[in-house]
Amino acid sequence: MWPTIYSGFGFWDVYSWIAFFIILNALALFFRGQGRGDYKKGTEQDEIFYGGNEVPEDGDDFAVPASSAYWGFTEALKGFYTKLLDLHTGLATDYVGYMFLTAAVLMALIVL
Amino acid sequence: MIGNFPFVIVGFLFLLGLYAVIFERNLIKIAVGVVIIEAATNLLLIVVGYRMGGSIPVYTLAGDTTNMVLPTPQALTLTAIVIGLATSALFLSLIIALYRHYGTLDVREIRRLRG
Amino acid sequence: MNWSEHLPALTLAIPLLGAFGAPVAGIFGRLVRNVWFLLFSALTAISTLLLWQYVSAQGIAIYVLGGESWSLALPSGMSLPIRIILQVDAFSALMALIGGIAMFAGAIFSLRFMERFSGLDKFVTLFFLLTVGMLGMELTGDLFNFFVFLEIASIASIGLVAFWRDKPEAVEAGFKYMLVSIVGAMMVLIAVGILYGRYDVINFAAVAQNLHMGLAEKVALSFVVIALAMKSGAVPMHMWTPDAYGEAPAGVTCLLVAVSQASLYGLFRVCFSLYGATMGSGVVAWTIIILGMLSMFVGVTMAVIQKDIKRLMAYHSVSQIGYMFLGLGVGLLAIADPRALGEYGMTAMQGGIYHLFNYSMYKGLLFLTAGALYYRTGTRNLNEMGGLARSMPRTTIMFVIAAAAIAGLPPFNGFVSKLLIYESTFAVHPILPVVAMVTSVLTLASFVKVFQTAFLGPARERFRQVREVPPTMVAGMAVLAVVVLGLTLFPTWSLANMINPAAEALVDKAGYIKAVMGGGF
Repeated sequence: MWPTIYSGFGFWDVYSWIAFFIILNALALFFRGQGRGDYKKGTEQDEIFYGGNEVPEDGDDFAVPASSAYWGFTEALKGFYTKLLDLHTGLATDYVGYMFLTAAVLMALIVL
Repeated sequence: MIGNFPFVIVGFLFLLGLYAVIFERNLIKIAVGVVIIEAATNLLLIVVGYRMGGSIPVYTLAGDTTNMVLPTPQALTLTAIVIGLATSALFLSLIIALYRHYGTLDVREIRRLRG
Repeated sequence: MNWSEHLPALTLAIPLLGAFGAPVAGIFGRLVRNVWFLLFSALTAISTLLLWQYVSAQGIAIYVLGGESWSLALPSGMSLPIRIILQVDAFSALMALIGGIAMFAGAIFSLRFMERFSGLDKFVTLFFLLTVGMLGMELTGDLFNFFVFLEIASIASIGLVAFWRDKPEAVEAGFKYMLVSIVGAMMVLIAVGILYGRYDVINFAAVAQNLHMGLAEKVALSFVVIALAMKSGAVPMHMWTPDAYGEAPAGVTCLLVAVSQASLYGLFRVCFSLYGATMGSGVVAWTIIILGMLSMFVGVTMAVIQKDIKRLMAYHSVSQIGYMFLGLGVGLLAIADPRALGEYGMTAMQGGIYHLFNYSMYKGLLFLTAGALYYRTGTRNLNEMGGLARSMPRTTIMFVIAAAAIAGLPPFNGFVSKLLIYESTFAVHPILPVVAMVTSVLTLASFVKVFQTAFLGPARERFRQVREVPPTMVAGMAVLAVVVLGLTLFPTWSLANMINPAAEALVDKAGYIKAVMGGGF
């Protein structure tokens, strides 16, 4: 039917994916269209629900900062990240040191 | 063997420069280390093209000798020296700019970018 | 004589003229210089496209600089390849095309982005010189010439990374990049010297023809592999990447991505065309695969925790480089065995090269969107951004396209190349695609974070004045977005006409040698 790419174990066909996304979007729009249109405009039904509190004027006051994203992930891998950040010293001489360490390891492996 | 002696010198110079680049703290000394590495590389190119008892690779000046040193590595070395000059100049000017901004030549203090 | 024979030289000559003409054009004012900048970047992009077309139609193109023939025949009948040649096969031409597109987009973007700063004549000069260095590395057929272009690219890129020299961080990043790249370039030169000492030629093809593995060749190989892996930003030599990519102006970062691909090109040219099957053991191939896996994993885990948008994207470059190392490393592993090459090696290499193309396009696009955000908000800190999708809708669309492509969401092009890599590397060891998939998931996670914090969320008071970026900057982004969408919608065509010839040219060491050396030497 459509041109496909065979990878030896499976295949890839972009047009069926696009067809899939179009159908999915049509369905989503259809279900969205089934929602209630009889809410009262201008009343509290129209407002953002913020835990029952007043919504702050400026977005700064209630936005989640980027460094809080994936807090659980970084907390769980704390030991790994401390080690990794210790390696990234930012010392220019260390950059050269790592390069020659790798070169020495490769040279040892390749010559032996 | 005496014929391999220049290669030993090249290796020694290279390791010396490398030691300076990795373990020195002063930016100027690191720059000197880089220049030593460049010198070692240039020396390697010259040594590779040298023949024992060879004459200069200019036909009219070489006299009646039949052995000439290969000219290509010398041309390569000249190019490498010119490039080395440009990189050294740029490197030193970056060090001057760093000194103006950070007020120090200690490489351990120049690490605002990390992690 | 047909003018298209001169395309390899023209591709280098046009940006060189652009570089040294820029200060002259700058005398006549801002408008003339901008027209000059735009005109020559367009001409460079067009010449790389024509060169790619020419090579696709005619096969390998050889261009001898300063002579009719590449060799010198002595009266005794012995012939030596002494001249400097440009040798362009399908892989080089594809790389040049990638570089041409990236530099064109970066140039359009830089027109307005750099407008507020002084010294723009020098900026344009350095930008073109960087292009010359990149294209020269990809087109040359000469080992020493490769080193010279590597140094040209290094010096120009350091000048551009430290272009905002009143910012301490920019100078620091330039210094760090310079230190590693000088030492790395010296390693390349030592390797060239060793090979010259062994074979008395510095022509890629001539060395490749005579090469047989000995101690000196092994030392040279390890020096070249490590130095060029450093220049392309593989873990554990990747530390300069976030510094340099983060501090360079955005249009330059877009070009720097393509320049790091030129180092990658050099690495694989040496591994495949120079050494190839004579390498004997799988040590180098496995080293490349392991470096690739380390790059993927360390790069992406470091990216997840970043809060500076350009450093985050730079760590993603490290992790994306890992995919190419993985794909092409598996190809290198299979090169001595025709059966393995047919079963999974070719697919892995196609995946690697396709990913290389995709990566250069969407990563350039991502850096340009980061630059657009910086242009309007004046910050790169993700904690301070928010709600920008309302005021910058076009940038948002570009970002979504690029982020979906880099995360490998179907149907975008990033998924196709990743699929090819997963399914072929699986044949070597199941752990390889597992690491690649985990990386892909974490990539998606970190770009969801960028999208959510920078574009979504409540509108910030201090960004009330923020508007959409100027049209030329949008145009620069649109160039890359169109290429990304083209690669998405026509994967079959691009795979058959662009990627597969490149992969075959890379494997075909005999053809590469024969194009220069003819019958014998």
